[in-house]
This record gives sequence, C-alpha cells and structure tokens, in this order.
Amino acid sequence: MEGHQRNLYLYDRFDTQVVGVSRDDVITLQYWAKDLGITFPLLSNVSGWLGVLYDVQPGDQPFFNRRTMIIDKKGIIRYVRDGSPDYKDILAFLKKLNREEGQP
Amino acid sequence: MKTMFIISCFLVVVSLGSVCSAHETAATDNAAQTVPALKPGDKGTAIYDGEYEFMPPPSPWELIRGGEGSDFVFGFYRKDPGKLQLESTFFAFSDEPYGYSKDIEQRADEFLKRFFWSSHVKMKVVDRKKTTVLGAEGLVLVLEGKDAIKGTKVRSKVILGKRGDRVVAFYINQWRASDSKFDQAAFDTFDRFAGSFRFLKKSFYETL
Repeated sequence: MEGHQRNLYLYDRFDTQVVGVSRDDVITLQYWAKDLGITFPLLSNVSGWLGVLYDVQPGDQPFFNRRTMIIDKKGIIRYVRDGSPDYKDILAFLKKLNREEGQP
Repeated sequence: MKTMFIISCFLVVVSLGSVCSAHETAATDNAAQTVPALKPGDKGTAIYDGEYEFMPPPSPWELIRGGEGSDFVFGFYRKDPGKLQLESTFFAFSDEPYGYSKDIEQRADEFLKRFFWSSHVKMKVVDRKKTTVLGAEGLVLVLEGKDAIKGTKVRSKVILGKRGDRVVAFYINQWRASDSKFDQAAFDTFDRFAGSFRFLKKSFYETL
C-alpha cells in the first residue's frame, strides 16, 4: 500500500486510478489509511463477493489472497499478478498500456 | 475519469505485518545468499550491478543482495564477536525506503514510524541534522534503542538523500548485548560507503 502511495504521481501520469480492496471493515480501513497516510480509495468488501468475482477468495477463509490487477478503459483485465505488488513491473506495464492507447 | 484502474486485493493486517517484518529479518534471511555481483571500479571502489559505485567495506563484510520484497537493493553484513548470536552489523542502500513523501523531512518522519516497527525495541532519535547527500540536500538520523527483555541494544544511522525526485536511503543497524560496546569503526565504514556512493546510470523512475 505504501508503495502505491509512493507512486500516485506516476499513476496520474499514466491516467490510472489505484483502488485497494479488503475484507476488513470500513472503520479498520479508515484507521490504517490514517495511520499510513493512504489517500487512494480503499474498498471494504466484508462479504467477500468481490474476492469471488476476481478469484482471490479462498473457500473457507475470511480474507483475500494478495493479487494486483490492471483493468483498461474498456473494462478488460490486462494484468494479473499474485503476491506482493511488483511496483516497477506495474509501472512498466502502465507505460506500455498508456502508449498503446496513444496518450502522451 | 481515469482510463485505467489498478485493483489491489489484500488483507491489511497481513500485508502490513509482512512488509514491516521484512526489514528486521532481511539481514538474517539473506545472509546465506552471497552473490558475486561486485566488480572493481577506479581508485579502490566497487560497482554493483553496473549501476552503483562506492567504497566497499573490507573483509569480512559479506555482500547481501536484496531479494524480492526486500526493503533494500543491496548491503553488507558482518557477524560480530560477542556473547549473543545477534551481535552483528548490517548496512544497506535502499531505493524505496519506508514512507512515500518526496520531501526529505516529511519522509524521515514517515520512515521513523516504520523503522523497527515489528521489533520490541523503542527507538529514540539521538541526533537529526541536515547534510549533503549525493551532492544535494539530505538528512542524517542517529537512533538508539534497547530491548530490556532480551538484554540487547541497537544503534542505527539513517541517511536520506535524493535520486532524481525520489528519496533514497542508506542505513546501518548494529546489534549488541546491553552491556557490550558499539563498534564505531563499523559506522566509519558505513560513512565511507554512503559518502562515496554514486549512480552510474539513471534510475528506473528517471527513465519511466
């Protein structure tokens, strides 16, 4: 999360919005966002349906697996990586996508 | 309206815990991974991965390469003599130090919030002063802490500087038994390392 926060100005450059999704409740996420200085949206999905939708919800566990996805403007998932985010890999991919879409 | 979205799914507690604990365990976890990535430079310097040139520490310091998820690019580890197994010194260069601000003073405060976060040691800043780092504005922090339960103490020095518009850091941690003395010579070695450090090419971010 801190890495995403560090790179917000670069995501802006590539016309990208980062969103964090967690099964933690809103109050918990508010606490963590304040404590870590996170300014991008954190979505609380306590019921876990979003995790099922994106295939990151282990069957009998109350949390999501870690996964990063990049969705383009057509709504197509273009990038999926499990585990901790590889921020340089994400930025390199966004640069490539941005170039594909013909934006400066 | 943004054209692309990054969705990052996580468990907040686990992701925080794993990131923070990496700092404390990095030297131990990577101690066995000696990677011969150093090449000789001019005037006694060494070059790491063709990108970083610096004065290397003398033997028996051991090169440690930062792995995936590590908070440092590379560093040097030395097991020190002493009655406790943890008596050792580790110093490193980090291109992604804790925190997120591009302002060095603000970044220092963010960094200190996370530094030793997962340990039982309460770190106290004993010195904080502005200095020149990598030819530009920088900040030096000296910290000390004790773990009364384990009978250990630690002294750290953190140097924050800029590479392009991003903050980078050098840091050293020296662990000792509570009744042992710190070894200033190791800090002098670290100062030579950080003071001689230069980049041989542009960073990933500068070329993005």
